Amino acid sequence: MKQVNSLEISPLIRFQELSKRYGKRQIFNDVSFDFQAKSSYLLTGRNGSGKSTLLRVMSGLLKPDSGLIHVKGQTNHPGLSWSKQQIALRDVVMYMHQSPYLFDGSVRKNLEYAIVNTPNSGQREQQVEQALQWAGLDDLSRSPAKQLSGGEKQRVALARAWLRNSSILLLDEPTANLDQMSRKKTLELLASLKQSGVSLLIACHEYQEFMPITDGILQLNDGILQKI
Amino acid sequence: MQESLTSAVFEALKLLLSGDPQLWEIIGISFSVSGMAILIAVIPAVMIGFLLAFYDFHGRRILIAIFNTLLSVPAVVIGLTFYLLLSRQGPLGDLRLLFTQSAMVIGQIALCFPLLVAMSHTAFQSIERRAWETAITLGHSTLGALSLVIREARFALLAAVLTAFGRIIAEVGASMMLGGNILHHTRNIPTAIALETSKGEFAQGIALGIVLLLLAFVLNGLLHVFQGKGALS
Ligand SMILES: Nc1ncnc2c1ncn2[C@@H]1O[C@H](COP(=O)(O)OP(=O)(O)OP(=O)(O)O)[C@@H](O)[C@H]1O
Ligand SMILES: [Mg+2]
Repeated sequence: MKQVNSLEISPLIRFQELSKRYGKRQIFNDVSFDFQAKSSYLLTGRNGSGKSTLLRVMSGLLKPDSGLIHVKGQTNHPGLSWSKQQIALRDVVMYMHQSPYLFDGSVRKNLEYAIVNTPNSGQREQQVEQALQWAGLDDLSRSPAKQLSGGEKQRVALARAWLRNSSILLLDEPTANLDQMSRKKTLELLASLKQSGVSLLIACHEYQEFMPITDGILQLNDGILQKI
Repeated sequence: MQESLTSAVFEALKLLLSGDPQLWEIIGISFSVSGMAILIAVIPAVMIGFLLAFYDFHGRRILIAIFNTLLSVPAVVIGLTFYLLLSRQGPLGDLRLLFTQSAMVIGQIALCFPLLVAMSHTAFQSIERRAWETAITLGHSTLGALSLVIREARFALLAAVLTAFGRIIAEVGASMMLGGNILHHTRNIPTAIALETSKGEFAQGIALGIVLLLLAFVLNGLLHVFQGKGALS
């Protein structure tokens, strides 16, 4: 078989001509985007424009109707199955829901679930401690995660992202429904993640607050993705 | 009659407490056959319940409808079906399984499978899709994510297993047709109650009835605890 796209690419991920429809509704059409390493972007667009849907496709949680996703360092060709592309994607991308899901159990337990590849339990414990401290969750480590406030849940989710340490973090409206204090804290943590080398793609409505951590703005409008 | 009933109950308690070997053998057969059926059925049934709840594949709705229909098939019909399959002239007759514990296990698997699928489907439905997605996006393998989601649904899943166990251990129709109520081999609690009582063996029937009643109490108590916990979290 002829391998068209198997040459090394320079962006972290190349999304090519992604399309997705729900029933008769075309959500987006032929969306292409190069995700450059160590770059952060905002994704804007009005309600229902398909931001969440696009993020879910980009994180490998939702199958596009057509299109190709090429992750740097992974072989690829147009006939590659979705499940193979998905596996490659999940390796480098993490997705954060607009309202994060926390598992039954303590905050500490939830952070432990974010450590997958460290077999040494002492090391895991140490990482959890660092994450608790990083997100300012020391006092909440024993609290049942399901009973936390929205802002606290958000911090646990960010601490999980910090532990997961994926190359790319996709966030769906991370400051929606948060008060001023929590927004500020979230932005601090996002800046810290970016500082440590994580690339961000943040879906949002009011982009002013994210400008300090942004390298580019994308807009989804009538199913078309544009740089602005 | 009054007097004989009282003495039968007294006799029953004596059988139970004295550890009557024949009685406890029957109880043992019941538990091992039904336990084996649950053990074999639970993993595939929970997997199907999981797929029905989290994967949108072709034919999903039809599969749900099929399992819901199977749910209401009477036990004797399942007994009859497997009797015909396993009898000497039947397509599986060469296996010589009819009137063995294996045949009873097969019948009880068929009985509890739809129930386990339906209840674990419901259990997984109560867990949000976000739980699965979160596990995946945190870098867990499919199996790792599955075990996290099972953990989230653990109380409802345990309730499913208890309900299924309660159904098959007390069921008489399929056990009778497929096992044949052979002493020391396939005589279990319900077939012993049904057949031995008709022969005038009241004390044994009552003793076994007490065991089933106690079991029902214990299972319901556990169900209550698990459902309470499931609702809390
Ligand atoms: N599972 C689904 N089935 C059918 N339609 C869906 C589904 N999910 C989303 N949609 C539709 O797709 C469109 C895009 O939804 P999406 O959530 O991606 O928009 P969004 O840009 O994130 O909106 P918001 O700013 O409100 O979060 C909406 O019209 C929505 O109704
Ligand atoms: Mg959205």
